[in-house]
Amino acid sequence: MVKVNDEAVAKLDTELRRGALVLAVLSQLRTAQYGYSLRQALAQRGMPIEEGTLYPLLRRLEEQGVLASEWRINDGPPRRYYKLNPRGIRLLAELTANWHALVATMSQLLD
Amino acid sequence: MDTHAIIDDYINNVAAKLPRKQRNDIGFELRSLLTEQVRSAALTAGRSPDGEMTVEVLRHFGRPDEVAARYAPRGFQLIQSEFVPLVLKLAAICIAIQWAVTLPLVFSARLTFGEWWLHWGFSAFAWCGVLVLWFAAASWVQRRFPIDPDTNARPAVHWLFWIPFPTDWRPGEPEATRRRAALGAAPIGAVLTILLIAPAWILGHLLPAAVNTSWASYDPDFQRWLLPPLLVLMAVRLMLFGAVTLVERWRAPTEAVRFGLWVCFVALLCWALFGWRIFAYPLTELLFKAWLPFYLLINAVQIVLWIRRAATRVPEIIQKR
Repeated sequence: MVKVNDEAVAKLDTELRRGALVLAVLSQLRTAQYGYSLRQALAQRGMPIEEGTLYPLLRRLEEQGVLASEWRINDGPPRRYYKLNPRGIRLLAELTANWHALVATMSQLLD
Repeated sequence: MDTHAIIDDYINNVAAKLPRKQRNDIGFELRSLLTEQVRSAALTAGRSPDGEMTVEVLRHFGRPDEVAARYAPRGFQLIQSEFVPLVLKLAAICIAIQWAVTLPLVFSARLTFGEWWLHWGFSAFAWCGVLVLWFAAASWVQRRFPIDPDTNARPAVHWLFWIPFPTDWRPGEPEATRRRAALGAAPIGAVLTILLIAPAWILGHLLPAAVNTSWASYDPDFQRWLLPPLLVLMAVRLMLFGAVTLVERWRAPTEAVRFGLWVCFVALLCWALFGWRIFAYPLTELLFKAWLPFYLLINAVQIVLWIRRAATRVPEIIQKR
């Protein structure tokens, strides 16, 4: 029984994190990042994301017009770098405000 | 098999399931990201990246059909996006079969073309509807009764509307296979090319003097006009095969040259089949021309498959390291 509960908690935790995924990604793209470096940056800050989820998400956000991307060849192989565009910056500000409001609400509910 | 070849094989598998417009763009990015991931896995493991490690990274990344599906637009899909190319292919095959089976009625004057079109020609397009309905039903069943994520068990109801269920990805060995094929084909090709220069003369020297080899003589016109370019093409193809065995892999330019030579060779043989007498001896001519269409058909199919593979292959934008 304990195992089932643990699994259920793990699933709910995944759902919770999934909801915050876009905001987490946008927060790290104020400076240009490529897929792999972004994944590492998120993991280092306690938000590990499966690469198979992150890479398509970046493209979707670009298609939605909140990210700009470009190929760069520095000292390594060519990499596609993503960065917030002006619309993405506005979206990040709005989502950040909503997030803080949600955290405040949840804190009240949970206390 | 080297890591780049495995990654390329994987990416080409993904690309084949993506819409044409996205294919190269996503392919380039995936190649860059997966190469990076393999390199990182190697650093973590403290050894050089190898085939086994690459396959492990790619398996963890997901099956090619799953990866392609992640890049598909979100929202309701009547048919799972990875199956759209298959539906189109099956529809084309069904239409082609219906036309191929029924068109002889027009050639044998049992139907006019107009009657054929009304009865059989146009109705063949109904296959598109049948296939769309079938795959839509299968997609709905798979959405409604998903695979158990813990046990990976497929619900029995999936078999009601069967569609090709994806299987685990395994890396192909195109380079190794081609190298083996090249190594095996080169000596056979060399012998055949030499034999084709003057079969009657060569056989006359190889076989006992009492054996008449005039049955293998070419028609003089064929020998004078068409045989030389055929032999040149065979010789150049042979040299290319030899060169490929010496280098690591087929590169895009050598592939293009190989394809061009192949098409020219097949085209010349087609011309020989329909426009020329090849052998002077009637029975040899009859037997050779009975065999040649099969050979040409097999080659034509291979050429179509090659073009298809080339169309879905993600090109290299950078020189490999």
